[in-house]
Amino acid sequence: MASRKEQKEQLRAERMAREAEEQAKERRRRLIQYGSAAGFLAICVVVVLIIVSQSGGGSSAGSGSKDAAAIEQQLKGIPQHGTVLGDPKAKVTVVEFGDLQCPVCQAFSVQTAPGLISDVVRKGTANYEFRQYVIIGPDSTVAAKAALAASEQDRYWNYIELFYRNQGTENSGYVTDSFLESIAKGAGVPDIAKWNKDRESSKWDATLSKVQKETTALGINATPTIMVDGPGGSKVVGSGVLPLSQIESAIKSVQ
Amino acid sequence: MPSERALRLAGAVIATVGIGVATYITIADSGGGAPTCLAGGHGCATVANSSYSHIAGVNVAVFGIVGYVLLLAAAAIPGDPGRFGGLLMALVGFGFSAYLTYLELFVINAICQWCVASAVLMTLLLLVNAARALTYTGAELTAPPSTSVDQL
Repeated sequence: MASRKEQKEQLRAERMAREAEEQAKERRRRLIQYGSAAGFLAICVVVVLIIVSQSGGGSSAGSGSKDAAAIEQQLKGIPQHGTVLGDPKAKVTVVEFGDLQCPVCQAFSVQTAPGLISDVVRKGTANYEFRQYVIIGPDSTVAAKAALAASEQDRYWNYIELFYRNQGTENSGYVTDSFLESIAKGAGVPDIAKWNKDRESSKWDATLSKVQKETTALGINATPTIMVDGPGGSKVVGSGVLPLSQIESAIKSVQ
Repeated sequence: MPSERALRLAGAVIATVGIGVATYITIADSGGGAPTCLAGGHGCATVANSSYSHIAGVNVAVFGIVGYVLLLAAAAIPGDPGRFGGLLMALVGFGFSAYLTYLELFVINAICQWCVASAVLMTLLLLVNAARALTYTGAELTAPPSTSVDQL
């Protein structure tokens, strides 16, 4: 016959075993409930983030030459010499290092460039040069060469501005021959056959390589980056969608 | 398995490093710049200039800072709320990091070392938080009984 102490021990052991089993059950229940909730919520949040990211990832390529008339109007009467827009004898040159596939450059083209062209370039305060700094991908190089080929017929700026108005999602494959040709036609490139031949020229490789070296030397690693060059020296103003006032102040500082 | 205290400490340290990385990317990107790739090259600039670098006009790195701060908070919160809050945030961070890495590799075609660093930190945080939640959920329930034999 078990003593009273042994009975107590046995009861205690049984109670602890029951408690341990209940605790284990409760642990499993919590783990399944909370774990499932966390997993489900996480999936929902990630899906929402991806959807918002995709919708903000730029529009698909447009129909080719949208806004051609608006660009023609914007640049009408301003001289173009190769890659330079405006008076070639202007004391100051505003240099933009840009990539045609870059959405921030597109934003600059829409938000800041129109004021820069109408208030600064058209008035002869400075001329404006666009240097092809290709960083997005291989399609940027193809697009840059197409724009440079348009410079042979002094329609470089029409080509750039119209390209930005019709820009698609980077590296999505929209930069096709037909897309580039529709931009060339919309930009008013007079001789399309010559333009097609010119854009295949190997001389543009050296042009693009020179810009790459220049950006490395200047410590530039983003597009669009604006630099001003005048009698007072050269100055990298900054990157991104800079306000016109900042560029005008920089122009004054190098006049 | 390490103690919960050790896992919480590891989570806090990794989240703090993550806050540093995400803050650097945010500061470098502000004003249109880009983080500097340590080994040179233009990978970071390409990624920073991509349209995928912003969600609804906000730099992705800002979301990273918020995520790491919440993970740091989860490491500081004891019990199941901290365990599952941490697991939830780590799952979100890991899932979104995986998506961003896919974009870098197959859409943008460029790799930014800072983004890779953040993805690695998120992976570590998922491991730490998953270990904490799976091992220590309901740990309070199994606390040693305070009653003694004599109290029966």
